[in-house]
Amino acid sequence: MAEIVLSGVTKRFGDFVAVHTLDLAVVDREFLVLLGPSGCGKTTTMRMIAGLEEPSAGEIRIGGRVVNDLPPRARDVAMVFQNYGLYPHMSVADNIGYPLKLRGVPREERAAQVRAVAAKVRLDGLLERKPAALSGGQRQRVGLARALIRKPTVFLMDEPLSNLDAKLRVEMRAELKHLHHELAVTTVYVTHDQIEAMTLATRVAVMNKGIIHQLGTPDEIYNEPADLFVAGFIGSPAMNLIDGRIDDGTFVAGRLRIDGLGRSTRESVVLGIRPEDMTIGPAGSGHGDLPVYSSELTGDSTLITLADGNTRIAVRADKTVRPAIDDVVALRIDPRRCYLFDAATTRRLAI
Amino acid sequence: MSDRLLKYLLLLPAILIVVLTTVYPLAFSLITSFRDWDLTRNLEPTGFVGFENYVYALTEDYDFYDAVRVTVWFVVLDVAATVLIALGLAVILRRNGTLHRATRVLLILPFAMSPALIGISWRFMFNPEVGVFTYVLGVLFPWLRGQAWLADPTLAMAAMVSCDVWHWMPYMTLVLLGGLASLPRDSEEAARIDGASEWRVFLDVTLPQLRPVIAVVTILKTVFALKMFDQVVTLTGGGPGNRTATLAYLVYRVAFSAFDMGAASALAWILTAVLIALGAYYMRFLIVKAH
Amino acid sequence: MAADFEAPRISYATRRRLARVAETTILLITLAIIVFPIAWIITTAFKTPRDVYDLSIVFPPTVQNFVIAFNAPWNLGSKLVNSIVVSTVTVGIAIPIATLAAYSFSRFEFFMKRSLFLLVLATQFIPAVVIILPFFLMFRDVALMDTRTGLIIVNLAIVTPFAVWMIKGYLDAIPNESEEAALVDGASRVRVIFDVVVPMALPGMITAAVFCFILTWNEFIFALILTRENAVTLPVGLISFRTERGDWWELIAASGIIITVPMFMLALVIQRHFVKGMTMGAVR
Ligand SMILES: Nc1ncnc2c1ncn2[C@@H]1O[C@H](COP(=O)(O)OP(=O)(O)OP(=O)(O)O)[C@@H](O)[C@H]1O
Ligand SMILES: [Mg+2]
Repeated sequence: MAEIVLSGVTKRFGDFVAVHTLDLAVVDREFLVLLGPSGCGKTTTMRMIAGLEEPSAGEIRIGGRVVNDLPPRARDVAMVFQNYGLYPHMSVADNIGYPLKLRGVPREERAAQVRAVAAKVRLDGLLERKPAALSGGQRQRVGLARALIRKPTVFLMDEPLSNLDAKLRVEMRAELKHLHHELAVTTVYVTHDQIEAMTLATRVAVMNKGIIHQLGTPDEIYNEPADLFVAGFIGSPAMNLIDGRIDDGTFVAGRLRIDGLGRSTRESVVLGIRPEDMTIGPAGSGHGDLPVYSSELTGDSTLITLADGNTRIAVRADKTVRPAIDDVVALRIDPRRCYLFDAATTRRLAI
Repeated sequence: MSDRLLKYLLLLPAILIVVLTTVYPLAFSLITSFRDWDLTRNLEPTGFVGFENYVYALTEDYDFYDAVRVTVWFVVLDVAATVLIALGLAVILRRNGTLHRATRVLLILPFAMSPALIGISWRFMFNPEVGVFTYVLGVLFPWLRGQAWLADPTLAMAAMVSCDVWHWMPYMTLVLLGGLASLPRDSEEAARIDGASEWRVFLDVTLPQLRPVIAVVTILKTVFALKMFDQVVTLTGGGPGNRTATLAYLVYRVAFSAFDMGAASALAWILTAVLIALGAYYMRFLIVKAH
Repeated sequence: MAADFEAPRISYATRRRLARVAETTILLITLAIIVFPIAWIITTAFKTPRDVYDLSIVFPPTVQNFVIAFNAPWNLGSKLVNSIVVSTVTVGIAIPIATLAAYSFSRFEFFMKRSLFLLVLATQFIPAVVIILPFFLMFRDVALMDTRTGLIIVNLAIVTPFAVWMIKGYLDAIPNESEEAALVDGASRVRVIFDVVVPMALPGMITAAVFCFILTWNEFIFALILTRENAVTLPVGLISFRTERGDWWELIAASGIIITVPMFMLALVIQRHFVKGMTMGAVR
């Protein structure tokens, strides 16, 4: 039983508001991912949950108990630090075993557990080294192992895989997923990697400038973005956001005419469409003819950028499509995959 | 001009100063320490006597043994008090707050004060009748009321230690504070998360990482304490009796009251040998740390 | 596992409050201990001889003590002049010489570099009493006894090696590139030192100068032994207020202010650089 509830939590550093009256309920056993651009307050939020930072206002509960006044050690959380936070003077084994040592676990048992968890994060053979003699990714795994050796009420992980190579990252992701399934411990996880977020999360909280813009399942976040920020932030390459107006269900912007978007009429709207939800064809065969601005082969597909005046529109086309720059092509859009946003409020409009 | 020549030329004046003002006098007093040279009898040095001055100091000279005892006591008490207080204070001052900031600024003041002035002021403030320290301490600790601090061997030593601690402790606090500031904060935070109490965090994480700085502070303070001289002259004059006469002060008395240059040089060299040994250790420590 | 840490006898909030109170108390005591003696010296300087032997804090202030101290027989003015001249000239000689040597140590490789540098460092561990004897004997012969020149020479012994060490630290931190750019642009090495290195090293040189000034200003043992009358500096001058007819404590306090206030101001000016400069450097 360890749900985490933040109500009206604010953190100010002097005049700067890092986290703004945040309300967030992390359900028991949930794997909640905090997603957001650099500097949006993810680490600060975590540090407040851990007790390393005192909220300027608001209340934090873990498992129903208000923890505002509790020091970190009384909250029973384990944390992986963004900057690792290793003990430079201790060996890797001592680093990982330190939480157990504090809990009076006898030496032999400790050593056994350290070996087991070190194997999980592929650190075997490095146990006698000091952190200074490790690479960034190895250090990060020491930090991870030190958290995983515990059975805490809550796991807090601040970009725990950010420094690993692609292969190791996939492996560790699988480890974490399995571990969460096995231990069922409430977890708050920060990442910049959207695939990591999508694959690991029960729910995702998208943050910007100290505010949560949307909280939902990965599917909801991706397919039903609540506002322009979420729409633009989730997905790679990013969703195209095209300024224009809508006239009786037809979106008009530059040379684009997209019909079939309901029946409304509205000045200043933003149309959102993901690059993979469009294709190109011979001129005259789609929703508007546009010149090719650039064309990049990415391996499994071709990323084509079209120019509509000063607007750039990215399209992910089949890898066999290889237009030359300045060719004029038709953009074909699936109207069912379009989103409309109010340019003023940035909220998504129903179609 | 080529760099090959220039680099020596740049060095020359400084090396010349060091040789003339330190190396030469050192050699001079080393040679003197093997001579019989009583300035009250001879203005010029007389013959060599081998190790006689050293042998005398080490075997028969009660003043020397007293001075060694006083010096050892002083150094131990002084260094222990300075380092422990400075460490505790530095840990507290690391946090931020108005009071903390004010204290950090004011900590620089005692160091900028003349040790001779501190000594002579302490002498007045420890005056049994009109000294303000005597009075305040008497109010706080009734059994100390009206004590003649500088007339009692133990209390005089305490006064001398307090004087030097007051002078150096604030500075050493700043040095330790500098050391603490350079420690990575997140390793301590990690320990808190791992379940360590503040005390365990300090013992297991902060202290081990601060060890090099503590070592530097301890070695330096030991050297300062061994060399401490000004306050003996101005505060206690070595008294009562010779119960606060340190080795440095004894050298001074033998040289400039008894004018026995040979004996004084020998005593001075015994002190120098200890300091050079400490200095060598310190430099090795710095070099090891640099790599 | 949470149970290990739960339910302390005193609640965490209370504990934290107690810790904060304890911390504040310790800091206040520390502040009192630092400030009180200084304040007491300052107030004493403004007391009449009668009030001095009274522990009262309220008294009619007077500047009479300063007037007395600056007049015969005490002549604080001449000691002040001696202190200013000796400190200024010592620092004025030591800093340029030390800067050149520090530059050489910092930028060049040469025969016995390490040994020479260790020699410079080692001088800081030599006790003053051991080198004062030869100076005492030499100065008698060459008529440097009781002169400012003599004092300046011995003070250089303390200050120069220290300044070399400190300034080298600052130079080491200055990247080599701008010098190399100037060399490529056609400047001679000497021009480079004056046009590029000195301006960049200036903050470090100033900090070193202030340190050395304070050390020389407060220097006691050399002045005690090598001066009698003409070249007496302020710290040694304090001793003359202790006479057979008693200690002139209010005059000691007055000259204490004269000694201390300029150093306080210097120290506060370079406050930020203070620790960095001396962590590894000064010993004497
Ligand atoms: N101690 C502090 N003092 C002042 N400002 C701070 C402090 N800590 C964080 N901030 C500011 O608060 C904001 C949020 O910081 P935070 O570390 O939570 O960002 P983040 O979302 O974790 O970013 P990243 O993805 O880069 O790690 C930042 O703008 C940062 O500059
Ligand atoms: Mg962060």
